[in-house]
Amino acid sequence: MSTDVAASAGRIGVLVRHNLLLRLRDPGPMISYVLLPMVIMLMFKPLYERAFSAREAATVQVVTGPLIMFSVFTLAIVGNSILTEREQGTWDRLRSSAATSAEMLVGKILLAMGILVTQQVVLLGYGCLVVGLPLPTSPGLVLVSMLAWAFALVALGAALATVMRSHAEVGMASDIGATLISALGGALIPIALMPGWAQVLAHVSPGFYGLSMLQSAVRADAAGTFGPAAVLVAFGLVVGAFAVRRITLGWSRSTVL
Amino acid sequence: MLDAIDLSKRYGSVPALDGFNLHVDAGEIVGLVGHNGAGKSTFIEITSNLIRADGGTVLINGRPPAKAKGTVGTAPQSIALYRVVTVREHLRLFGSIAGLRRAALDNAVDEVVAALRLGDFLDRRAGVLSGGQQRRTQAAIALIHRPGLLLLDEPTAGADPETRQALLDVVKQRAGEGAAVVYITHYLPELADLRATIAVARAGQVIARGTAEQLLDGLPGEVRLGVRDQEITETTTDPTATLMELLSRADGPITSIELRKPSLDDLYRSLAVSDVH
Repeated sequence: MSTDVAASAGRIGVLVRHNLLLRLRDPGPMISYVLLPMVIMLMFKPLYERAFSAREAATVQVVTGPLIMFSVFTLAIVGNSILTEREQGTWDRLRSSAATSAEMLVGKILLAMGILVTQQVVLLGYGCLVVGLPLPTSPGLVLVSMLAWAFALVALGAALATVMRSHAEVGMASDIGATLISALGGALIPIALMPGWAQVLAHVSPGFYGLSMLQSAVRADAAGTFGPAAVLVAFGLVVGAFAVRRITLGWSRSTVL
Repeated sequence: MLDAIDLSKRYGSVPALDGFNLHVDAGEIVGLVGHNGAGKSTFIEITSNLIRADGGTVLINGRPPAKAKGTVGTAPQSIALYRVVTVREHLRLFGSIAGLRRAALDNAVDEVVAALRLGDFLDRRAGVLSGGQQRRTQAAIALIHRPGLLLLDEPTAGADPETRQALLDVVKQRAGEGAAVVYITHYLPELADLRATIAVARAGQVIARGTAEQLLDGLPGEVRLGVRDQEITETTTDPTATLMELLSRADGPITSIELRKPSLDDLYRSLAVSDVH
């Protein structure tokens, strides 16, 4: 490893620790995004069991649906953390240090992905232990699914943060996005029960791919996992590239927000 | 060390820099003065690699700002601290990003804490600090990694006299060790204390540069002559001749004589007058 790469990795490590510190000093949103889906899983379980003929399918839906929905809410954490740094001037403070914009963004993304994967692990574990979800037989597929979904969401959150001008706007985007992405993706109501037009529209929602990918991973269906994963990674790369472009330009007086 | 050559920058239709030139040698302190909107902070932002110039070049030890990031320490004009992070954590964060580790990091933190007297609030979060304490913390962040170029944008605003002196002492010390310093202030006695070379910015250009004596040469001072219970004040560029003339006209006992040389404040006022006209 060259000296430059080692130094860059060192700075990214420092930034990840720093972002973790910031998150731990403000844990409220994260806690609520873990506790609320747990409650919803238990409340919706009887309803889903009546809607589905197969009990296992009902359990998979009642665990993965709220998981996908509340992980979309979590993108507000990414958006707000970048926006807060813009407002407080700390983003530019870091940019004027030895850290590059790319390192700063990677430091945010790695931690946010860690948060999202942790959230998904906790909720799936809760689903298995409390809701009755069968233990996934292919943990590797589940991990791929979690990482692909987390990457797409984090990239989307970062992109939103670069165009939103206030926390209220990030909150609005998160709320609308979570509702649309998850509802349209089948997280609330199974796709098969949705109106015909909504079933067609579902295919433009990242939530559709996130949900089908996670459900396939839980069922150890490799083909059903990797297809949507590829779509989500491609989506993440596109919106992530947009975020990097915006962040590299900076938000000083020359930049119209 | 630092060369800014023919920099230009516009914000929309408003020019911020328009042919801005400045050279700072290693070990030199340049006091950059000028009215609000003169382009001082824009120059700092370009040199800190926060924004790009529309034209011209900035070189730091021969390298553009993007390639010289680790060698610059910036204390920006506005407060830019993490409200939920303590002063110690700030120092360790920016020291670590600069590549300091373990004992070197501990020593660097200890040094700036002692130099800028941060010990009383070292483990308090930035959000609860006073404005002066926050500014001291910002200056400490700029100094923590011993950069070769220091860019300090009004670092003593809101600071008490003791803190101000502590910061000036550190800046002098760092310059003495070879750092190039660009020091922006509206508080001109600080520049005299720093024995800084002065660069005067106006309308996006450096219009004058030199020692205080060079820049003040030709500016009017004052002669004050007390005669009986009256005081006569004359503004003049030739105090000796004016004093002699006032003495020759005096029609009573002389109670006091005061010759006041032009100060940096006079220089500032003369710029304001020329801005108006």
